[in-house]
Amino acid sequence: MRSTVLLSLACAAAFLGLWKLIVVVGNYPPFILPSPEAVIARFIGAWADGTMAPHAAATLLEVALGFTVGAGSGLVVGYGLGRSSIVARLVSPYIVAAQATPILALAPVIALWFGPWLLGKVVIAALIVFFPVAVSAMVGIRSVDARLLELGRSLRASRRQVLLTLEIPAALPSIFGGLRIGVTLAVVGAIVGEWAGADRGLGVLVNIARGSLFDIPLMFATLGTIAMFGVALYLVVVLIERRLIRAR
Amino acid sequence: MLARRLARPALLLVALLVAACGGAPASGAPAASTAASSLPATGAPATTPPTPTALTVGLGYIPSVQFAPFYLADQAGYYRDAGLTVTFQNKIDPDLVTLVGQGSIDIGLADGTSVIPAVSQGIPVQYIATIYRDFPSIVFAKATSGITSAADLKGRKIGIPGRYGSSWVMLQALLGSAGLKATDVQIIEYPTYGQGAAVQQGAVDAATGFFNNEPVQLKLAGFNPVILHVDSIVALPGPGLISSKTTLSTKGAAITAFVAATLRAMSDIAANPTLGLDATIKVVPELAADRAAQAAILNATITAWKGTAANAPAMGTIDIAGWTASAAFMTTLGLVANPVKVEDLVRSDMLPH
Repeated sequence: MRSTVLLSLACAAAFLGLWKLIVVVGNYPPFILPSPEAVIARFIGAWADGTMAPHAAATLLEVALGFTVGAGSGLVVGYGLGRSSIVARLVSPYIVAAQATPILALAPVIALWFGPWLLGKVVIAALIVFFPVAVSAMVGIRSVDARLLELGRSLRASRRQVLLTLEIPAALPSIFGGLRIGVTLAVVGAIVGEWAGADRGLGVLVNIARGSLFDIPLMFATLGTIAMFGVALYLVVVLIERRLIRAR
Repeated sequence: MLARRLARPALLLVALLVAACGGAPASGAPAASTAASSLPATGAPATTPPTPTALTVGLGYIPSVQFAPFYLADQAGYYRDAGLTVTFQNKIDPDLVTLVGQGSIDIGLADGTSVIPAVSQGIPVQYIATIYRDFPSIVFAKATSGITSAADLKGRKIGIPGRYGSSWVMLQALLGSAGLKATDVQIIEYPTYGQGAAVQQGAVDAATGFFNNEPVQLKLAGFNPVILHVDSIVALPGPGLISSKTTLSTKGAAITAFVAATLRAMSDIAANPTLGLDATIKVVPELAADRAAQAAILNATITAWKGTAANAPAMGTIDIAGWTASAAFMTTLGLVANPVKVEDLVRSDMLPH
């Protein structure tokens, strides 16, 4: 564990060192590629002076709600796709078509339908989360050993008992694979939603930093915050996964 | 074994460094001057004509009749006669200012209200010629909305592309003139610039726009517009030509020639707008489908170039007092990170005398 932490810190230091080297060797001005120390200083300053916090809170709320709605509906639909070949044949083409349509093109339309407020952002985030979770749930449910299901039926297990004691535990590894991807996509969806119309959020702050203030270190600091959120949320899902799968 | 394991990461590092070395030009390194040399003396043996100076010019978001002077100057040979070959690119304002500052684009048409925060953040650009004498960003509404002044905006829904850029600065100036803040109105964002349609459909009571675009479209749709200008409140600098300090020092003669040729085309279009319309349609043939609308936009644009104030100065002239006031005003909005001097923002010696 200690060696993993040390290795992670070493990788981070190497990344920052490489970034600094590129800035120095390329002689990039700060408004093209700011140095890591300039971005870190701006990051600390933006949190300290209250610039970052309200935007971060707005984005986190969108991510949390979007992930909940997207993952929840993805699990339900994924179960249906996994259990019923008729449902799979009828619904799959629409799900794939929705996934193939770039969310960046859909976002302005969704903002028009649902308004530039929280609901629009939640819908966009949920849409982008839905597909990987639905597919992973479908794959997980289909991978449940048929002999286990037959055993359950022979023991007169109810539908609910089969679901809770056989199907879900067996499908968990696959489902969590989808949730890992989904939670990082929820961050992407929230930012795309903010670009389609919002008055606060980290996506808005990126636009303000770039388009109004020309504060490129602040833009990078905001991008760094977005990345950190994605990593933190991913780790939360991994921790939950380890706890649940260990408990099986 | 260890050497083989390290070979690939080392090769990747070398590749990244080579890319960095061959990437953006050093900000302080002067580019090679390609200014046209003087003509040979009479009677001298014939020499090869001087190589024209290549200039990359950044215009706004999409090709438009508003860029008619540039298209006319190019097609009529004004740039060629000045010893220039010009290539146009279309960029949004924030990208344009950054690329000009970096030197990737030689001259850009950018908002004056973008130059002030950009320079305060160390982007080495300067504003060298005014194109829009009147600040084109305005608030407009239908005449039936009952809005006739900034005070009437209180509590109303106002459409805006976003809380950044010249429209945001202008809106705050306008609201401030009536003792209002942004929190006293309901801001609705339209990032894809659909606020004009929103006013037409009644989704918002008013919206920000450009004097020579949305109100013209509203009138053509059969609605009388009301327009609220900011010029009498604070003389915000309108869009004009910008270049980087490095480019100005290495291609100064070419830049001066470009400015002169562009102002000449603006004068020609002001005298005969059809010239500008035809030049634009050659670049964007689709605009021919609605010549009347494009002509109306161009006429409004010409009004903004010349300015509506009495005794407006010659086209291109830079209003130093206005820039000073604007920098002070934008500082109060928190948009100026570090103090700026007007001599860092503008220079007038690129204008034809």
